[in-house]
Amino acid sequence: MAIRKQLYTWELYGDGGDGTSLTHYPRGGESHSIFYGNFGLVQAGRQAGLVKENEFIVIEKLGCTPGISPEARVDGAGALTAWQPNMFVNIVIDTTNYYQDPQNVWASGVSGTASPYPKTTADMPYYDLWPPIYVLPHQTIDIRYTMFNDIFNSAGSGTYTTIPTDLLMAAVFVQYTLYDGTDALMARKLMQLGIPVTVGSVENYRRLLLEQKGLETDTFEHYLAAIQSEKKREEKQRKNQGLARHETYGSDD
Amino acid sequence: MSLRRQCYEWRNIVQNAGDTVFLNGYPINWVGSRPTAALRANQPVDIFVGGIGNNLDIPGQLKAYQYIVIDAVAVYPPTLHAQIYVNTTKYFQDPDGVPSRSGGISGFAVPFPNGTLYAPQGIGPLLPQDDLLNYDYQEGLKPPIIVAPGQNWGVEVTSSVAILASAGSGSVRDTEVQRCFVKYLLIDGSDSIVAKRLIESGWPLTVENIWKYKQDILKTHLYAGLAPLPEEVSSAKRKV
Repeated sequence: MAIRKQLYTWELYGDGGDGTSLTHYPRGGESHSIFYGNFGLVQAGRQAGLVKENEFIVIEKLGCTPGISPEARVDGAGALTAWQPNMFVNIVIDTTNYYQDPQNVWASGVSGTASPYPKTTADMPYYDLWPPIYVLPHQTIDIRYTMFNDIFNSAGSGTYTTIPTDLLMAAVFVQYTLYDGTDALMARKLMQLGIPVTVGSVENYRRLLLEQKGLETDTFEHYLAAIQSEKKREEKQRKNQGLARHETYGSDD
Repeated sequence: MSLRRQCYEWRNIVQNAGDTVFLNGYPINWVGSRPTAALRANQPVDIFVGGIGNNLDIPGQLKAYQYIVIDAVAVYPPTLHAQIYVNTTKYFQDPDGVPSRSGGISGFAVPFPNGTLYAPQGIGPLLPQDDLLNYDYQEGLKPPIIVAPGQNWGVEVTSSVAILASAGSGSVRDTEVQRCFVKYLLIDGSDSIVAKRLIESGWPLTVENIWKYKQDILKTHLYAGLAPLPEEVSSAKRKV
């Protein structure tokens, strides 16, 4: 299983109390990690996402709970039945924030309204993480969320008395492709050649290596062949998908 | 991280009285307290430095090694319009060449979020089958807007109707929040040099074209390593 499509979700459920717990709910405006933060379902070891030396990660999708207003929906018994966290999510690689605002200062990230999780017909995503993000061996990845609706202060409104333990208050979703072992090495080589790292391009490179089994691969002919082979594979794929332009059909073949 | 898909979201939500806790211009809200600012009818408001809602400290200006490609803009409610500007030029204009008098593209054409409830002013949300969908600009702005190094850019929103300020102390809904979303590709560092070459050659500035250009550079270098040196170079006398 050298290439795996992975996902990681972080979820925060109610605690059965009235929402005043400062150990169960984060305060508004605070940034926390979905991997090792103090709230919600995080990894047991509370470790940041360190990419091992035999791994290569491509982050493709990111989303979080949508909604802006702190609109509390309550049932007859005074229990909260729906909650909008008004949250944003950002990706941090080593010490660099992916999202920055137009004045080139780090931003809170993409909102759940723009990139919702889960997706519904009433809130289709406007935001697509394209191009994807490559995370190289020995780099550390962190995904941080910030909520702007404060649960602690909301408890003081007296609108509800209980937040049930089965109520999902907030969630973050990230989807990525994990290349490990020899596939990670091939992904790294493709990146150095400027070829997009996709499942198709890595598998194509693997085929090329197998064809050249026993031959010297550390030469320019090999890398030239790799680029040309990838171009041919990509053209074929675009033709099959009906995406090819007339220039593609007018080329060599 | 030289190619990054960025976004910026503006809302007319303001700070609670006496509240000093906010991050990146976004105020903290809670049940019974989600104040929104008033918008005057037909009065443009800059979403970066307009003084209403979450703002930046300085206008958006690109550094010497940055390009941006503005892909999409979206607004809500339908009575809100968005106008993109680069330096002193506004993107949306009327047929007579004057910048759009209504204030640009409306939330009817580009609702944010896509599929949001249509809630006419004073009536509230209608039935689910009245959801607003972005059909006309599904692929965003084609061709996109390219902003070059050193240029100023921003987005102005204009409401067709007057929006009253609200303390947000009662039952508040998302449909009462004015908002604007802009999405762009940030190209910086060495990729901005590639972007410059693509623009000079008349190629669309897309992620795929930047990748392809970089591949071609690498391929050319591989060929260059194979080629023999010119006669005058290989037979030249050493000077040192």
